[in-house]
Amino acid sequence: MEKRQDIVLGLVFVSLGIAAAWMATDYSGASGTYPMVLALILTLLGGAVAVKAVRSGSRETRALIEAPSQMVTAAVIATIYVATVVPFGFYTASFLLMLAMPLALGLRQVVYALVVTAVFMTGVYLVFSVLLEKPLPREAVLSLLEAGG
Amino acid sequence: MEFYTNALAHVMAFGPLTAMIGATLLGVFIGALPGLNPVMAIALLLPLTYSMDPLVALAMVAGIYNGSMYGGAIPAILLRIPGTPASIATTFDGFPMAEKGEASKALKIACWSSAVGGIASAVALMTVGPLLARVTLFFGPAEYFWIAIFGMASVGVMVGSDPVKGIMAAVLGLLIGTMGIDNLSGQARFAFGQTWLLGGLDLIVVLVGLYALPPVLQLAEKCDLKGLSAAQLKLTDVPFEPGELRGLIPTWLRASAIGIGVGILPGAGGNIAAFLSYNAARNASDDPSSFGKGNPHGVAAAECGNNADNAASMIPALSLGIPGNVVAALVLSALTIHGLQPGPQLFHQNPVLVGGFMMEMLITSLLIFALGGAVATRIFAQFQRLPGVLLVPSILILMCVGVYVINGRPVDLWVMLAAGLAGYFLEKLNVPLAPIILGMILGPMAEQSVRRALLISRGDAIELLTRPISAALAIMTVLVIAWPIARAIRRRRRPARA
Repeated sequence: MEKRQDIVLGLVFVSLGIAAAWMATDYSGASGTYPMVLALILTLLGGAVAVKAVRSGSRETRALIEAPSQMVTAAVIATIYVATVVPFGFYTASFLLMLAMPLALGLRQVVYALVVTAVFMTGVYLVFSVLLEKPLPREAVLSLLEAGG
Repeated sequence: MEFYTNALAHVMAFGPLTAMIGATLLGVFIGALPGLNPVMAIALLLPLTYSMDPLVALAMVAGIYNGSMYGGAIPAILLRIPGTPASIATTFDGFPMAEKGEASKALKIACWSSAVGGIASAVALMTVGPLLARVTLFFGPAEYFWIAIFGMASVGVMVGSDPVKGIMAAVLGLLIGTMGIDNLSGQARFAFGQTWLLGGLDLIVVLVGLYALPPVLQLAEKCDLKGLSAAQLKLTDVPFEPGELRGLIPTWLRASAIGIGVGILPGAGGNIAAFLSYNAARNASDDPSSFGKGNPHGVAAAECGNNADNAASMIPALSLGIPGNVVAALVLSALTIHGLQPGPQLFHQNPVLVGGFMMEMLITSLLIFALGGAVATRIFAQFQRLPGVLLVPSILILMCVGVYVINGRPVDLWVMLAAGLAGYFLEKLNVPLAPIILGMILGPMAEQSVRRALLISRGDAIELLTRPISAALAIMTVLVIAWPIARAIRRRRRPARA
């Protein structure tokens, strides 16, 4: 398992290095030489990792993901959050994330999750919007209300 | 001396002082929560400090760093769960002490030992840092090139289990560092026709993704739905025996010296300092068999050692511009955010800032005495009653705020997510993340230095090796890379002969 993972890792770095070296051929003079040298070193090191893995007799197992369902759930919800944070608005998307993520991961105390969400979101609002006055993605609900009004 | 008295006047102003107190408390809290670590906290904090005074921003970094190193001892002692990797050695004797009903005593020893280690380390930074900076006045572009390469090679070789993967990560970081417009020729490199890539990838965006997302996904994997019960966090006061605290002084002195030495070495972190200090305390003890069974010297050595590493790791960062660990790299990023160029010039161009940061490292170590006692520990320990699954979205939200406020660009959120997922898998494949960040920071410095050196020598690469300091640095770099490889070859040959 570990052997196969290292072979793939080495090959990924070899591909990265070759692609970068090929792109660096388009850059003129010294601005191309430096990335070209780095890309070639990366290719060699990737190759060394892959060759070392091929030659090793190790049959050690190494889980790439310990709990696949939880990890995939968290990664997918995080991706949806990043995709919705601008169109929905920061506070709306964050409120939904605070509720959806723990429930999707198995938490069944909905009231408890709601209380923690309310406290946390109030804290985030006070720190980032009131105290630090950081500009965050505007709430879609507010835009809709303004358009309606 | 005037260097420090001047800086002290600025540090004791309202802004930096409140930032130090708040950040030290926040640091203890972060360290006390397993799954959160100082690197993640500082990475999340940095984008929010863009508009702040640099001394306030650095005060927060110093507070979180020193506070979290102590905070990691709280779950290590109460639950045998190290709050940070540097507190693993604290579990060896801290948890057995808690089992004997001496948790409160172990926490007090951890608190005082952390403070002592931090103070010793800050004093070392204040004395050695300016001296080293003076030496670097003799450096030219060739020396800076080799310093950057030496720093990356040593971190790449030392931080992971496989030196080849470590160096590979450093080269990847160097390559990422070339993205965007080349400052010397104006050529756009690896921009893929995207205007937002012309300035290169934002270091903080990549850093937040690489260092904050993998622990979040690991927290999700653990799926902690209950948190801890109140009974698990109950503390009873146990008084110290006469002379017990005085007996810890030799352990503190030894651990401080070890922690400072380890801190100066690039790549070696607080966990190595803690293990070495713990072993040294056991070897020096009249009763080594009592270690691992609740010996207070074990807690004192581990905690003093890991905190003594903190400020010392800033010595090469501030004087040479070479970060010894990721927190030092973050400090360099904080300086860059505020338009300051790390390295020896910083001591001459901005003495208040450098001296001020050194004073802040010292003051936040002193604050642990006042803020990290049993009362604070009792309060912070209560946060461990929160189910871990609630921390997952909370950290994600803080990551998004931190990244979005840098440029106000949604694309940065996607870069953060991609960097985080890549970081998660790279860590699982034993590819260390620290060299990637160091490569991104030191890459532009290495490139500009080597190109300037070649311009001065009219393209003669031999000139990179002819000056005594650059030749010595080149030899050290080769040795750093060759040593682990030679050791691995020797190890492989030995069983073959047997």
